[in-house]
Amino acid sequence: MKHLNDKQKNIFMNIGAVMIACIFLFPLYWIVVNSFKIDSEIFASTPTLWPHTFTLKAYQDQLGNLAVTLKNSVIIAVGSMILSLCLSVPAAYGLARYKVKGMKLFVLIFLITQMLPASLVLTPLFLIFSRLGILNSYFAPILSTATVSIPFIVLMLRPGFLNMPKELEDAAKIDGCNAFSAFFRIALPICKPTVITAACFSFVFAWNDLAYSMTFNTKDAMRPMTSAIYTFMNQYGTQWNSIMAYGVLLILPSCFIFVTMQKHIVEGMTSGSVKG
Amino acid sequence: MSNKREKKEQMLGYLFIVPAVIYMLIFIGYPIVYNWIVSFQDVTAMTLGSKTRDFLGFANYQAVFADVTFRKALLHTFLYTVGCLVIQFTLGFLFAMFFAKKFTFSKPIRGFIVISWMLPVTVTALVFKFMFAEGNGIINAILMNLHLIDKPVGWLLQGNTAMWGLIIANSWVGIPFNMLLLTTGLNDIPADIYEAASIDGASGLQKFMKITIPLLKPTIMSVLVLGFVLTFKVFDLVYVMTGGGPVDATEVLSTFSYKLSFQLFHFGEGAAVANILFVCLFLVALVYLKTISKDEVM
Repeated sequence: MKHLNDKQKNIFMNIGAVMIACIFLFPLYWIVVNSFKIDSEIFASTPTLWPHTFTLKAYQDQLGNLAVTLKNSVIIAVGSMILSLCLSVPAAYGLARYKVKGMKLFVLIFLITQMLPASLVLTPLFLIFSRLGILNSYFAPILSTATVSIPFIVLMLRPGFLNMPKELEDAAKIDGCNAFSAFFRIALPICKPTVITAACFSFVFAWNDLAYSMTFNTKDAMRPMTSAIYTFMNQYGTQWNSIMAYGVLLILPSCFIFVTMQKHIVEGMTSGSVKG
Repeated sequence: MSNKREKKEQMLGYLFIVPAVIYMLIFIGYPIVYNWIVSFQDVTAMTLGSKTRDFLGFANYQAVFADVTFRKALLHTFLYTVGCLVIQFTLGFLFAMFFAKKFTFSKPIRGFIVISWMLPVTVTALVFKFMFAEGNGIINAILMNLHLIDKPVGWLLQGNTAMWGLIIANSWVGIPFNMLLLTTGLNDIPADIYEAASIDGASGLQKFMKITIPLLKPTIMSVLVLGFVLTFKVFDLVYVMTGGGPVDATEVLSTFSYKLSFQLFHFGEGAAVANILFVCLFLVALVYLKTISKDEVM
């Protein structure tokens, strides 16, 4: 590269980057294009790179199943998001602002629980929820998916609250604000972007969940989209256009959130999953 | 500060923090303890409803260890994890180094490929299953076009290639994650160290070996340990792509535990396998906590 000047180097690097991105993101492209193909193109032994005959049939076929499962997915994701925000945002704030005894232990609890996988608690939670009689209800997946978001959000938001100038709240307290209004009126508005990012993460975590909802909600009427698409694949394994149409609808929220607030997502991802 | 005021501050702090902690203790802490109890009991579909269950001692663990599938699952879980870590870390590192160069679209493109981390694993598993399909999969079509294979291969239908299919699919999610964490580490290395080395006549390779690697060591450690924990617990991907098959060839601890509990209704044995998974993760997590507690957190 020594013979190239900076401008040429820049061009080559950009071309390289675009090529990497194209190859890397090919599976995403593959989901989308195959959802628009007709059956004969799906079953052809040489796949077509784009739909030669464009059709929405795969989507129309799914409309019947979709109404119920979409509703379930939305209820579970929104419910889980509200529950986790209500618990984790104050906790992140408290851990940043107050010198409480046992703080190390609390941070440790969140760090450890964040790493524990669903498959570890599936059996006990199933037995507990079965005793409580909340299998095949919205409660089971909402309560369980919130355990994924809460530690993630606590660890993600804490640095933001730590970096916030304390003088603002002190001034507010002198003006007669109590601790809770200082939290709601001062801290939350300042950290609004990260709190919104946290909300997005918790929505996506619950929306993406398969293990919990598949295990706890086995009745068709209570299934969210993730477990419905899995059941559908088992029944109609080769209907890839229909499966991919379902897939497109499933990835839409993550894609939308990602494109609109990419910078915050990428930042939150690093702080939420590593440091704390 | 008066003692009374300090106490009040403590109370307020607890009001903010404790609800979330209690929630995690109820829905994660208690189930983990309960899981140990269940693993020593006779819990099957028959005894599920009854109030008292027979204490079995280590019988569930003995049954599990005697099972050939369990030993395979344990081995597969480690093979899968190591395979994923090698690919994810190597490519993640290369990507991080490449996108650390300053060119016009370096940041937006780097940011954009992270999207694979946010997608539902269910969909990722399905699209890779489709791409690896025997009859109409794109991977077979490409390889046949390049004359690397003569006839379509059932990648996920053969024991020896199915695991590779899973590793590749998981790396698709893991590469941007590794890249991002390593990028953060690379950005923290002060640029003037490189400049000073250049003035002293250091080559690119020397700079990499003598500056980048040593200064990046803490980041590398935490990326690898975190990657291990996140990969070792794999469930959705295997469950959707291969279901542990063909004939146990891709069975891992989490899918095996799931099968014992929810297909055979041997909840006691399912709990025992989950606990073994827990012990493996716990040991690695201890290493992780040790490495980060040196850094900042606490």
